[in-house]
Amino acid sequence: MAVFFGGIIYRVLKWLVVPVPTMIMLTPAPITRMGVAKRLGLEFLSFGSLRKAGRKLWLGGWLFHLLLGITLLTHIVTIFFPVIWSTVGYTWYELAGYAGILFAAVISFLLFRRLVHPGVRFFSKYSDYFLIFLIFSLAFLGDYTRAFGKLDQGAVSSYLYGLLTLQPVLPPSNLAFLTHFLLAQLFLMYIPFSKVTHLVGWVLAPTRNQRNIARSEWHRNPWNPEVKLEPWESYAARYQKELEELGPGGERR
Amino acid sequence: MKLDLTNPGQKYSLHATRKKDMETMGLPFPREWNRENFNLPPNWKEVALAKLDELRRKYRELQLFFDICVACGACADKCPFFIATEDPHNMPVARQELLRSVYRRYFTTAGRLFKGLAGGRELTEELIHDWYIYFYQCSQCRRCAVFCPYGIDTAVFTMAAREVMTAIGLTPRSLTESIAKCEVVGNHMGMQPAAMLNSISFAEEEIKEETGIEVHVPINKKGAEILFIAPSADFFGEPHWLTFKGYLKLFHQIGLDYTMSTYASEGGNFGTWLNYEHMKKINRKIMKEAERLGVKWILGGECGHMWRVLHAYMGTMNVNPEFLEEPISPITGTRFKNASYSKAVHVCEFTADLIRHQKLRLDHSKNDQYVVTFSDSCNPARFMGLIEEPRYILQNVCKNFVEIDPSVNRERTICCTAGGGLLSDETLELRLRAIKPKVDAIRETGANFLALICAIDKAVYPEYLKHYRIPVQVGGVHELVGNALVIM
Repeated sequence: MAVFFGGIIYRVLKWLVVPVPTMIMLTPAPITRMGVAKRLGLEFLSFGSLRKAGRKLWLGGWLFHLLLGITLLTHIVTIFFPVIWSTVGYTWYELAGYAGILFAAVISFLLFRRLVHPGVRFFSKYSDYFLIFLIFSLAFLGDYTRAFGKLDQGAVSSYLYGLLTLQPVLPPSNLAFLTHFLLAQLFLMYIPFSKVTHLVGWVLAPTRNQRNIARSEWHRNPWNPEVKLEPWESYAARYQKELEELGPGGERR
Repeated sequence: MKLDLTNPGQKYSLHATRKKDMETMGLPFPREWNRENFNLPPNWKEVALAKLDELRRKYRELQLFFDICVACGACADKCPFFIATEDPHNMPVARQELLRSVYRRYFTTAGRLFKGLAGGRELTEELIHDWYIYFYQCSQCRRCAVFCPYGIDTAVFTMAAREVMTAIGLTPRSLTESIAKCEVVGNHMGMQPAAMLNSISFAEEEIKEETGIEVHVPINKKGAEILFIAPSADFFGEPHWLTFKGYLKLFHQIGLDYTMSTYASEGGNFGTWLNYEHMKKINRKIMKEAERLGVKWILGGECGHMWRVLHAYMGTMNVNPEFLEEPISPITGTRFKNASYSKAVHVCEFTADLIRHQKLRLDHSKNDQYVVTFSDSCNPARFMGLIEEPRYILQNVCKNFVEIDPSVNRERTICCTAGGGLLSDETLELRLRAIKPKVDAIRETGANFLALICAIDKAVYPEYLKHYRIPVQVGGVHELVGNALVIM
């Protein structure tokens, strides 16, 4: 967890110390901050740009993130606030289980696409495959643990509480769970050094977060270099004869 | 989707800059070299890596986009040059990867330790050859960025790679010839003051023959209210010329107090496509001239990348141009608040405002023979958001206006495929292929007149349409304004 948060903060700071020297908003772009918030918010909820790019990829990507969110939420509720399930009803708990299975299925689709789509296969790197395998393993082991693992959730809760309060107790000796938990830690530690940093990075993209105010407000470039120009005088001296044709002083009034 | 693994893109490579132009422009490592033999300086690798390191510390977007791309492939089939060649390196993400893999290898811990396993690639001369080919097969049109879930912009990579290549003495002639002329003579065409005067006088004569009206164009006039800047192609290009006459008629009719300039006779800015320094050098001339002439604000003609610079970069590059005033239309009194800092107004904004206030007498019967359609240019659409103004003007000066399929127009436009320094014969075949989706869409509209607001568009579309045997006339928005305008 420390590596994860520390790493992410380091990443973001590393981006933030570098200036954005020019306006590169993708237009049509909003001219108010509210407009930018709306643009980013809609992008976050609907993955609109991806939808324009292609329906299948959009559905895969959007479902993947939606199910990821549901899965994370379920983890938090089950581990730290299990009482919520009894309030909202255990049907929701069951549904969350099916979501986990669907999650693994969607990941398989994305992996399948990476393998068979000629373009995507061309530019996929080892790290892309590593990550998708890692997430698939996490999802699969999670689903397995839940369906067949006979896991004592209370024990998991007290183990994690112990870790977070720095008073560790022994983890439940459940192999599927332990592997799942180990991979999860590996994953969290890997995130700051991988493309998963898009989870915060996307908000910083100037193409989407800049307002279209390039001509009405000053945008500062801290390293804006001075350039040397030929002054009018030496230009006018060089073309003296020609400029005289225009009129006195090179002016055609 | 199909890939052609024989890399047909390799065929299209730009000619090298001549030694003397490298010297004129003060480019690093002036020497004789060509497309096959780069004749790189001995320390090229250190220079290149140092430049790349410098750039990632200067541009947040570069560092950010290096890190966050997940290689989902949303952009893969959106680039017109990929559609044209099926060359895998022309997929935007793969184009980025040519640079990103080098970043990974030399500037990340994993890359330094695990090299190829971590997606890193050695910087070799072979890779530099690929850079020179594929980063000059990107017109920086940013169509790919529209589809990227994070808005990753390949133009950021292209510009960075070109900065690095410039630093080790690799620049294509198609850019440097024009830049050198622009910095010395004042415009990309190398047109000297007398030639410019000739051209303008000729336009005045033609307008007199056609309408009987005498228009007068002030040049280098001190104390004029407005400095008018146009791409130099407008002074004689075909069909740019007709647009140019359109402006002159319009300015005459409304009695605008303006001037043109010989010193800053270029609105276009090929420096944009080479590096920041030369972009600023060319742009700065306009501001310097505006200051010398004592004008209040700047009006800019129809041009694509010129407006990318005037809109997005000029305010940043020229800090606080306080010798200028917030632009106010002298005819309608409209304050152009959108240009209150950098004080440059697009002629389409200006004219649309005139029409809205009914300050023009327009007779569209002169344009009734045309079914007009409008193709968005990448920079006005995706860098400025100037999408509605030209349409508003066209709907007021023409009776028949039809739209092109928005999947290749508006903010998703495929435009000329000749921007970014690709406007040269070496790439003609490539461009003819790349433009196919767009010309097909133009054919489908049934239009017989294609209106444009970009000088490069105007230069290349006649050739494209002829090649595909589509009987459509090409012209500017202000050409049609000029036709419809009743002048006295």
